[in-house]
Parts: sequence; C-alpha cells; structure tokens
Amino acid sequence: MTTVGLLGAGGIAGAHIAGWLQLGVDVVVHSREGAPKLVARYGGRVASSLDDLLAQCDIVDVCTPTFTHRALVEAAAAAGRDVVCEKPFALTVEDTEAMIAACADAGVALYPAHVVRYFPEHVAVHDAVERGDLGTVAVQRYDRQGTMPVSPWFLDDELSGGIVTDLMIHDIDFARWNAGPVASLRAVRSVPDESGTVAAQLVLTHASGSVSSIGGVWSARPVAFRTRFEVAGTGGVLRYDSTTNPTTWVNGGAAAGADGYAPKATLGESPYVTELREFLAAIHGGPQPRVTAADGLAAVRIVDAARRSLALGEVVNLDTSLDTTLEGAR
Amino acid sequence: MKVALMSFAHTHALGYARLLAAMPGVELLTSDPDAVTRPAGESGGAALAAELGVDYVDTYDELLAWGPDAVVVCSENTRHRAHVEAAAAAGAAVLCEKPLATSVADAEAMVAACATAGVPLMVAFPVRFSPAFTDLADQYRAGALGKVHAITGTNNGQVPAARAWFTDPVLAGGGAMTDHTVHLADLVDALLSGVPAVRVHATANNLLHPDAAVETAGIVTVTYADGTNLTIDCSWSRPASHSIWGGLTLSVVSDAGLVDVDPFAPRVSGWSESAANELALGYGPDLDEALLVTFLDAVRTGATPQPDGHVGVRTTAIVEAAYRSWREGRAVDVDPAGRPASAGV
Repeated sequence: MTTVGLLGAGGIAGAHIAGWLQLGVDVVVHSREGAPKLVARYGGRVASSLDDLLAQCDIVDVCTPTFTHRALVEAAAAAGRDVVCEKPFALTVEDTEAMIAACADAGVALYPAHVVRYFPEHVAVHDAVERGDLGTVAVQRYDRQGTMPVSPWFLDDELSGGIVTDLMIHDIDFARWNAGPVASLRAVRSVPDESGTVAAQLVLTHASGSVSSIGGVWSARPVAFRTRFEVAGTGGVLRYDSTTNPTTWVNGGAAAGADGYAPKATLGESPYVTELREFLAAIHGGPQPRVTAADGLAAVRIVDAARRSLALGEVVNLDTSLDTTLEGAR
Repeated sequence: MKVALMSFAHTHALGYARLLAAMPGVELLTSDPDAVTRPAGESGGAALAAELGVDYVDTYDELLAWGPDAVVVCSENTRHRAHVEAAAAAGAAVLCEKPLATSVADAEAMVAACATAGVPLMVAFPVRFSPAFTDLADQYRAGALGKVHAITGTNNGQVPAARAWFTDPVLAGGGAMTDHTVHLADLVDALLSGVPAVRVHATANNLLHPDAAVETAGIVTVTYADGTNLTIDCSWSRPASHSIWGGLTLSVVSDAGLVDVDPFAPRVSGWSESAANELALGYGPDLDEALLVTFLDAVRTGATPQPDGHVGVRTTAIVEAAYRSWREGRAVDVDPAGRPASAGV
C-alpha cells in the first residue's frame, strides 16, 4: 500500500488528506501544529517528526506555507521520496529551480498542485481551446475573489508573496495553459489601508500576442468565494461565473448547522481527488500529469515578474525561451 | 427648439434621430454630406433621412445657416473637431458623439472653441445615465461603499460592421481601444468626481480580426491620482454572428463588499427559432433618451450639461496614453490636467 506523508495541517491539507484517503492510500501527517486535529477529523496517522514521516512514506505532499517549501522538498528528495507540492512552488525562481534540481538529482517526481487545472468548468474551457473550438485565443479575463485569508502568513508578502503569488497564480497558470508563454506583463495593486482589503490587477501579453486580464481580491468584508472567466477567440467565446451557476437554489431552507434541507456539494468528484489521482498514477508509472514541474516553474517566473512590476510600477518582460513546457503537458 | 444632426456616420445617429424627431418642442434637421464617401452598401444621406422620416439638407453650411439652438455631432471620430468647431462658431450648443476626439490637442481645441463661442459642449456618454450606475455613484458619495479599492470593467462588442470607418485608422483614430475604453473611463470619472488619471498601461492585438488595420482587442489599466486602479477590457470580442451587440459591466471592490453593475441586464432572454440565435428583449430605460433630455434641458436653462468637454478631454487623454503605452511597451504617465506629461505642455 502506498503511504503519503502529508506535511502541514492548514486549509489545503484538509482538502488533500480527504483526497488521498478517498483514493485509498495510507496517510501519515506531520505539522508544527494541528496534525492530531486533522487526523481526528479525516483519518490517517500522526508522525512524530519530519524524519519519522519520511521513514514511513513513499510520497511526500507538501502543504505547508510557501516559504517552507524548498527545505521540505529538498528533504523529501534527499530521502528518495516522490513529491507533490502545493502551489506556488516557492517565493523565488531560485528556490524553485533548486527544488526541481534536487528532485531531478534524486530521481524522484515533483508535481505542483495547480488544482485549477482540475476544476471541471476550467477543464471544459481548456478542452474547448485544445479542440480548437475557440480558434485562436485572443482575450482571456479572470476574476478570483474571496475573503482575506485567516492565517496571518498569507498577508505577509515576505512569507506568501502576496495576493498575486498566492491567489492569482491559479489564473496565471490557467491563462498560460490556454494561450502559451507570457512575453510581458504589468501588475497594479490597491493602496494598502487600515481596512486590509487587497485588490490586484495583472495584465499578461502572451508570446502569441494574446492578452489576459486577471483580477484578484482578498476582501476584508466577508464575501462568498467567487471565480469567473471569459475566453474569447476567433471561433467564439466561453464564459463562466460561479455566482450564476447554482445547480440547486434554495429560498428558505436550513441555516448553517441547523436541521432541514441544505444542498451538499453535488458537482461530482472533488478536483483535489482528480488531481491527486493523476499525480499518484504518474508516480506509479502512468502518463504524465496535465501539470508538471516545468509549469510550476513557469508560474513562479511569471509571479516573480509580477512582483517586480508591482515594485517598479512598470512593464516587465520575460524571456520566453525559459518557458520550456515538458513534453506531454502542452 | 431647433436641433441639427450632423452626419449619420456613427450608427448612434439613427437612434438619436428617431428620439429627437419624437420629442415635443423639437424641430430636427439633418445633414450627412460625407455619405457619398462611404463604401457601397452603407446607408446614409437623404435616403437614410427619408427612411427615418426626418428633414434633410445637402450641406453642413445649409444646416448651420438654419440657425440651430443645438447640434448633435455624429461624424467619424477624426472629423469631430471640425464639426464641433463649426457648430460652436454658429452659436449652437454641442453634443458630440464619443470619443470626443482622438487626441488631447483636438479635444482641448474643441473645449476652447465652445468656451470662446459661449456654448456648452457635452459628450455622448449615455451609460452614466443608467439608474444602476447613478445609484452606485450616489451611494458611494453618501459613504455607503466606504473606500473604493479597485475597479474593473468590460465593454465588449462586435467589430462594428455597419460602418467601415470604425476600423479605418484615419477616420476612427484607432480600433477597439478608441471605441470601448471611454465609456468606462467616463463612468469612473463620474464615480470619482473627476479625479484625474495619472498612469496608463495598455496591451492589444488584432488576433480576432487579422485583416483589420486597427486593434480589435485590448486591455487598458488606468491608475488615478487617488491610487484607484481601473482595468478595462475594451475588446471587440463578441462574435459577429451573435444576436446581441455586446455589453458593459463595472465591478467595484469596496469596503462594503464587491459590487457588480450591469446596466444592460434588464432583459427577458430566450431563443429565436427564426433567427436561430439568442433573443433578448431589453426593458431597461432608454439611456440615449436620458442623454438627449439632459442635453436639451441644459440648452433650455443655460446650465452646463454633464459629462462636459472636460470629461471628454480627460477620457481622451487616457486613450491617447493607452496607445503610447502599447506602442512603447511600457506604462506611461498622464499629468493631473489630463494631458500626457511627456507631451511637454
């Protein structure tokens, strides 16, 4: 039986441990805090230390805060374990390249958990692009809006990279998946104030000439999480808005936690399960997943450029010759 | 009141003509001499006036000699300046189709000409008359939204097909960025009460219409003096076969939450079997009518109608900076007067 060693016990760890357990693998968890609570809720076992976890597992799943990724991925590689790593890979291109090199040298796999590539509505539009239904993709527009994260490290640019690196990287990766390498970009961000609300806007010009507009919001006022996009090409246009696609709408019903009717998420398999299954199959000799370490590195290069753009207030050009997507991942 | 309509070049002229002709107390006279320069098959001139059931004269000289109280200019973008200056010289109040001009120099000259003549100059930005937008702006001013942290907008449409000049850089001054940046720039100008744009970035392409001589898709980011960022998708990305021309949306990130405004949302939707296309019956207020009523009321009372020529200058400055940014591949400054700083004023 395959054993996954899960590092971290925060928000994304919950989605991953549920996914791994659904796939029938054994899970052992290590975290500075929260591991017993996570295991009590979902299942699995607690490892007493990083070394204990590495000794017990076949695959390491890094779900810790971004700034810790490099050291943990390097430790996993040194122990000869295949690695799944939550996005973003790291805060810098240098760290990401070091992680990739460590895994390559150790002969282990390294996959970035860019889960948006597994969300069914995103899959639907990407498949349409791949089939050529949209013709040449000319303009993409993405919005990703939610309440500001609870864990303070997200809000510290030094630790998370900020909203572009942590949140908007999802749409950056997806826009690049559809329209190819990014040649230049410019980012702007709201002026920080006491409210804490952060809103950033990123405009990508792809090497193909295609353009993408990406908006991200961490709202201080609690808001429902929302994504929307529009992809327009010579063959037509596709759009999606999570607020206007309710499969079940209830007027009345039960309040949260109370008895009565409240719809459960019934859209089918969790994208996290789809993602982890694909990684697991690849580690076991199956086909390469739809997202690879090269994609993870390309995404970090783009967010790194976006952070420089924010600092400079200027357009930043990227060297598209460095955007080498591995064979099979498009 | 005598109202003259100069040119049927912009297709909005047709709607204005119908509305003006139906308004009590308005005498309408039209002229469209440049119709002869349009490609074969495009409507215009006396024939179109007859179709619309409005009075027509062959030349602008005759039109202005009629002594109109007000003139509505609907010519090609780069002809706006000459026509506005002629109308002002004739002593008429002017409503000019958007964009006011294709350069800040032209826009400022038009404002100056109207000021010299002592006539009001208004720019045809009808979307700011949408009740959804005025409600947003009113509540923002009353403090209900708190601080506005960021704004995004979309103004997508079909590549204009009824008139070839829209994709002729000489007559239009540009493509989608010229046509579809200014509506949202006007709304944000109104929302922020004229806080000037200070920095602009733009990128664009013509991938959707590779044969077009102008850009057909673009994304423009404007930073205002108070730090607010606005990103506009101005693309002509609505497929040509679609039954609905396009639309406009405005999304605001505020202390009060996330507010999306869609002025064209009021519509009953369905499907037309005969047209094999989406059927949408809009039931919102006629924004063009609200625009014209505001203009004509101002002409009657002597008030300065909004959006005025200064809004036209500020929105033109954003578009001018957008082209400079796109051409030079960098973000560019716009000075607080609404004139690009490096223009050396």
